[in-house]
Amino acid sequence: MNATAARTPRRRRVRPARAGLYATLVLLALVYLAPLAWAVSSSFKERSEIFAFPPKLWPDPATLFNYATLLAEQPFWRWMLMSTSVALISTVATVLLCSLAGFGFAKYEFKGKRLLFDVMFSSLAIPFAVIVVPLFVLVAKLGLSHPLFALVVPWVAPAFGIFMMRQYTEQSIPDEILDAARIDGCSELRTFRSVVLPLLRPALGALAVWSFLNTYNTLLWPLVVVSEPEYYTVPLGLQALFGAEGRQYNLVLAGAVLAAIPAIAVFVLLRKQLISGLTAGAVKS
Amino acid sequence: MTATAAARSDRAQNRQRRWAPYLFISPFFILFTCFMVVPIGAGVYLSLTRWAGLGSPEFIGLDNYTRLLGDQSFGASLGNTAFYTAFALLVVLPASLLIAQALDARGLKLRDLFRLVYFLPVVLSPIIIALIFGLIFDGEYGLVNAVMEALFGFGGVSWLTDPWWARVVVVVLVLWRWTGYLTIFFLAGMQAVPRELHEAAEVDGAGPVRRFFSVTLPQLRPVTAFIAVTMLVNTAQIFEEPFLLTQGGPGESTLSVSMFVYRAAFQRQELGYAAAAGVVMFVIVFALGRLASSAFGVGRTR
Repeated sequence: MNATAARTPRRRRVRPARAGLYATLVLLALVYLAPLAWAVSSSFKERSEIFAFPPKLWPDPATLFNYATLLAEQPFWRWMLMSTSVALISTVATVLLCSLAGFGFAKYEFKGKRLLFDVMFSSLAIPFAVIVVPLFVLVAKLGLSHPLFALVVPWVAPAFGIFMMRQYTEQSIPDEILDAARIDGCSELRTFRSVVLPLLRPALGALAVWSFLNTYNTLLWPLVVVSEPEYYTVPLGLQALFGAEGRQYNLVLAGAVLAAIPAIAVFVLLRKQLISGLTAGAVKS
Repeated sequence: MTATAAARSDRAQNRQRRWAPYLFISPFFILFTCFMVVPIGAGVYLSLTRWAGLGSPEFIGLDNYTRLLGDQSFGASLGNTAFYTAFALLVVLPASLLIAQALDARGLKLRDLFRLVYFLPVVLSPIIIALIFGLIFDGEYGLVNAVMEALFGFGGVSWLTDPWWARVVVVVLVLWRWTGYLTIFFLAGMQAVPRELHEAAEVDGAGPVRRFFSVTLPQLRPVTAFIAVTMLVNTAQIFEEPFLLTQGGPGESTLSVSMFVYRAAFQRQELGYAAAAGVVMFVIVFALGRLASSAFGVGRTR
């Protein structure tokens, strides 16, 4: 009797709070989705309709004109090919090099480990602004400014990735497994390849998504180093189109929607891995 | 590792094991040397020269640095960057903490969906986001003005051409883009807090607010430190948001230090001067980043 009397008012108080919570979360979700929905919808509108008021949620008349014009007038697929190849090559190399280095830092004791780790970790605090000018000069002087080199090679061993892989390796690979593999006569590299790598799979997925998205979306360095339009990535192409005379909003919107598709697809497919992998490093410092 | 296992393995394996870690971490250090250490060295040298990119750099000592001291544009870019960074730490970070707390509510339905939606902006290219925001905040035809006009009867805010409003739009963009990203870190941290701690506090009569401050927050210290340092270093380098949204304008009211460097080097061909600004930036960011890292104990080896 006493217990139920105590419970009822509390439950009644909790319910409106819950409703408020859901309302807030949904409202917030709208703040995130509305601009994107508006962009998708507007990409199917006629140019003059994009700024119409009141804004139409549904394009009327709906047209593929923006997409057709973009694809006819701009080498959009070429940009896409460039972006995805750079992103894929970087991702494969990044995953390999970071997991190797992360394993090295997590599972070996060696002279200078502490210092080397500190150097690696503090490189995270080096701002790109200090590197961008001299690196551009070096790359240009040495004739290395071909985009497939300049956009990929300097960035395939990011400290953040190594840190993430070290955290994950430390938490999920027991020393006994490694010792067992060594007793079986495995070389260190073989141990890494056939024992460690399979166990790291979730973290590798996370790192792969992170690396793909980073490379796919990056703007500043390509802007500096890529000068020939034939090597433009998607962000560069859109930026050029956006900055050009007459601001062809409608075309850029269509391009933005198309460009977002691979990024969102990769993210939605691998979101669980990405989120748990990203946070693994941070939660247990 | 264990002594017995080491004793059992033969000498070749032992030697291999001594060298293996160096081999494994060497790619990072090779790339780090070629693409960070050498450029920084070259940058320091360039910063002491005057050079337009052709011919050879002319050594001018510390002139670039004294010029930076008196350069109002550089001062403005420092001020703006400090403003963005302060905003990131004082508004974005607490906002994401609150959202994470809301998402951590017991028995919440659709948690993963909410988390997914909030995370979405980080996945998109900044050029996409900046374009959309540019159109939405357009001073004449933008959606925001149109909605305000309809709701309150005035909608003539020149969002992108008024110095203060332009800064506001940039930080709104920062808020929109990064909050969801930080939220997943806080949420993961909260989910790692042992349930017993909350239950014990509840038994002691602590309400939700009290539990948040006495249980959740102290437990989140490592996550918070990690996020704060990451956000500090990232926002101090902010480039894309103001570059794409306002090109640094109106005037120089949204110019950031990274944009200042970019403009000096690649639009004005003053490579030496740009390098000097980069070096100043490096000293400030690196010092702050390391200071914050060691104060919070981020990234220590065990």
